[in-house]
Amino acid sequence: MNSQQSAHPKQEIGGMVPEISLPLVQGGTGTLQGFLKGKKGLLVVFWSETCSHCLRYDSFLNEFPQRYPELGLVVIACRQGETAEEILATIAQRNLRFPILHDQDSRIARQWHTQQTPRVFLLDANRRLLYRGAIDNYRYPADPDYQAYLRPAIEAFLAGKPIERPETASFGCAVQSVYYQLPKPLARS
Amino acid sequence: MAESGWRFLDATMKVGQSITEALGDGSAPKGSHLPPYNGSPKVAEATADFANRLAVVAASNPIGAEWFLNSWNDVWDAASKSFAGIERRSLRQWMALSMQLPLSAGTLVSLFGLRTLHGAYVVGLEKLPDLIAFATEIWIDAELYTSLQYKTYVARLAGQVRQSPEDARLRLQLGHTYIKLGRFLEARSELAQAMRDSRLRAEALQESMVANYYAADYAQAVADGAAAMALKPLNKTRYWLWLAAQKAGGYPEEVPPASRMEVRVGRHPTQVRLENVAAQLGLNKTSAGRGTAVFDMDGDGYLDVVIASNHAGISLYRNNGDGTFTDASVGSGLEYCYDSFAIAVGDYNNDGWDDLYVTRQGFYPGESVLFRNNGDGTFTDVTRQAGVQSWGTAFCAQWVDYDRDGRLDLFVTRNQGRLADPGVPNRLFHNNGDGTFTDVTNEAGLSSVSPTIGCAWGDYDNDGYPDLFLSSGLGRAQLYHNNGDGTFTDVSRQAGIDEISLGFIALWCDYDNDGWLDLIQFVWSPEEDVLHTLIHGQRPANGHPLKLYHNNRDGTFTLVSQELGLDECWGTMCANVGDYNNDGWLDILLGNGAPPMDRTEPPILYEFQADGCGTGRRPGKFHNVSFAAGLPYTGKGHGANFADLAGDGRLCLIVADGGMYPGDLLTTLVCRPTTLPGNYLNVRLVGTRSNRNAIGARLKLKAGGRCQHRAVDGGSGFGCLPFEQHFGLGTFERIEALEILWPSGLKQQFRNLPVNNTIRITEGKSAWDEVYPRSQATRLAQKSDPEPAPELSAV
Repeated sequence: MNSQQSAHPKQEIGGMVPEISLPLVQGGTGTLQGFLKGKKGLLVVFWSETCSHCLRYDSFLNEFPQRYPELGLVVIACRQGETAEEILATIAQRNLRFPILHDQDSRIARQWHTQQTPRVFLLDANRRLLYRGAIDNYRYPADPDYQAYLRPAIEAFLAGKPIERPETASFGCAVQSVYYQLPKPLARS
Repeated sequence: MAESGWRFLDATMKVGQSITEALGDGSAPKGSHLPPYNGSPKVAEATADFANRLAVVAASNPIGAEWFLNSWNDVWDAASKSFAGIERRSLRQWMALSMQLPLSAGTLVSLFGLRTLHGAYVVGLEKLPDLIAFATEIWIDAELYTSLQYKTYVARLAGQVRQSPEDARLRLQLGHTYIKLGRFLEARSELAQAMRDSRLRAEALQESMVANYYAADYAQAVADGAAAMALKPLNKTRYWLWLAAQKAGGYPEEVPPASRMEVRVGRHPTQVRLENVAAQLGLNKTSAGRGTAVFDMDGDGYLDVVIASNHAGISLYRNNGDGTFTDASVGSGLEYCYDSFAIAVGDYNNDGWDDLYVTRQGFYPGESVLFRNNGDGTFTDVTRQAGVQSWGTAFCAQWVDYDRDGRLDLFVTRNQGRLADPGVPNRLFHNNGDGTFTDVTNEAGLSSVSPTIGCAWGDYDNDGYPDLFLSSGLGRAQLYHNNGDGTFTDVSRQAGIDEISLGFIALWCDYDNDGWLDLIQFVWSPEEDVLHTLIHGQRPANGHPLKLYHNNRDGTFTLVSQELGLDECWGTMCANVGDYNNDGWLDILLGNGAPPMDRTEPPILYEFQADGCGTGRRPGKFHNVSFAAGLPYTGKGHGANFADLAGDGRLCLIVADGGMYPGDLLTTLVCRPTTLPGNYLNVRLVGTRSNRNAIGARLKLKAGGRCQHRAVDGGSGFGCLPFEQHFGLGTFERIEALEILWPSGLKQQFRNLPVNNTIRITEGKSAWDEVYPRSQATRLAQKSDPEPAPELSAV
């Protein structure tokens, strides 16, 4: 905790999000504008290779470009302490096919008021924030309590309709831990 | 006898430690409350830290012949990390270290000895191994999962499974771990493999049932559960099978009667129907919820809600003015306060905006935070400038004006520690009045170390000064009498409350409205006792229900829980009292459970029914009305709270549900009576000479010839109640009098107060005002009443 963390301007639904530029784990640098090129909108996903919740959305994210060709997709690995090598190893192991930006010190996550992964942001072509929150309520689709949050938002946006629920609460794994990391005993194996 | 032996050993070790510490070097920072990022400078803390790391290393590498070969790297690394902060420059420091190390190790041994002894006393020798296994797994997992270091552990385990694919025990362990992570489908396939081993089949089926339940495949869960019951009829399996069958539409025919059950508690009739309105109100966030607090954040009169969370920041919900809420966490400054535990609300600088003190992590070290409320929906972390840094394990925090100087002081319980715990004292911070605090724990005589989880401040002897009860996680409870001069005296034994128990939180309340505060210590029961209660409708013979101590008005207490019908075992982690049915008697809400993914427990509601069936001098009895009123059968309750969120007289029951593991998928429960169950009056107090929140004030309301007593509380337990005092009035339509005894000593009396209203009373002022704007008609009707004529008298 430090006081700078709350000093960021409040990000409002309907407002424009500032441009970011981060190293791309797969090589090079990525910007929102770059991923928006030729697209109607962009899905930004705050993500972590450690996070057990993100894991469940691997295939959703892998298949996202086929499902929504009008939309761009970029994932931001934002968990404190994750290295590019670790993320690359995970990409290979889990066959991930989406571009991953590396927000090594969680700076962008803080600016975007993100404490947990996965947390998604849907932007229009002008980087205006349309939807912020969870993909669904993390139930299995067979569960009677299952609720999709992102899908209806995307569908409304693509159909040019107002988004009924532009914000849902996120949940998942924290992007940082208040405890000093249990330094190497486990990280070395 | 054995206990005093261990205690003597413990005390000797500690004396030895302090002598050798003094021998070592005066330059080592003393009593540092800062996070030991580079290792603690204290040998005792470093040794304990090393022991904890060692436990994690042991857990992540199966112990066998080659264990040391595989792990020596990890062990060396743990040692160099834990002892990095120890000064080893001079010969003298080395000599001191060589003496301190064995003493520190000895202290840990005595800690384990005392814990085992107390555990055996509470649960009995038969259940002791289960309790130890449970506690060890949770403590080690806390290190792994709370710090999100589980990834390598899981990868290692999965690697071992790949190396020996035929090892069913490894697969069972991997499946068990996947469930903790919420990877239920992968868990299911690992467990399907493990089932092939006939020795592990029952266990694997039981785990598979849980995985299928979470994955919403209820039919398969029932099939697994029935098969597991046929092999090994455990109560745990029986309960999960019942839960799955409820979801699947009832037991299928092939489940034999011997495997079935019915829930035999919680069916006592009640007039009230509760409905879950969490989603309707916008409070249904899925997250590992912990402490809750209800207070007016922005001064608009409406009650706002904050919910602490594991793996996430604090959620702040702003009341829209109609009892529905908007998530206002983003930008509030609270959203980065990860892994918080309890929230205590108190206006420490008396500026009119209620501030928050948040403890972090509980069983795990973290840094607690003081947030100053800026009044505009944002909060600023002022921990350092206020001087309330407190690094380490921490559970409950409570605001209290223990010296009655009109400023809120702060008490934090923090010595129920980790698996290996160096033992740190609780802390009492005195408010200096200029926005800073001074640690006065030692001067107050509160520095003794006993594994405390809960604290409760209440003036049990009506001498005007709040006294302190400490509830011990596994040890003796303590009661400290406030001497009125800034010091405290341990009166546990003469008061008769010094029992050993698996205590959690505690609170003071006047359940029988006799004007003397009674004490409830909530107790956490092992799973088997809870299942016994659910299945058989009564606790096992050696089970420990919560402890309600009746105040005998002479400094002693009598245990009356059983007599009052509070005779069931629950894994209570949080609780609160409130008159939810507006009948003038306080009811009790329990949030229950434990971290394991396969432990789920209902929240429990005890309604006090003054039906004359109480024995002796008691006016009635508590009845378990949970399921009759409509509470769910599952949960993992934290932060139980009662609050009139819409300002319409209906108390909402709030229980933040959540767990330690990322896989727990619970949402906050908010239940509200479907109709107004009776007349009411809500009273808010504003102190002027007293602290602004009037914490410690006593209220006595007389209606229908009967008196009700309340004390304003500063947030005991994990649910910090609103300061608003809710009085249920049943069918009474007139209030004869309301008497207020302010912490400053001022006594005020009000007559002709309205019913079915929420009013604000300011200390020393004869006129009260309404909190909520009402319709003109109601207002006019109100004005026709004669002006209230308060009686002022200083005492």
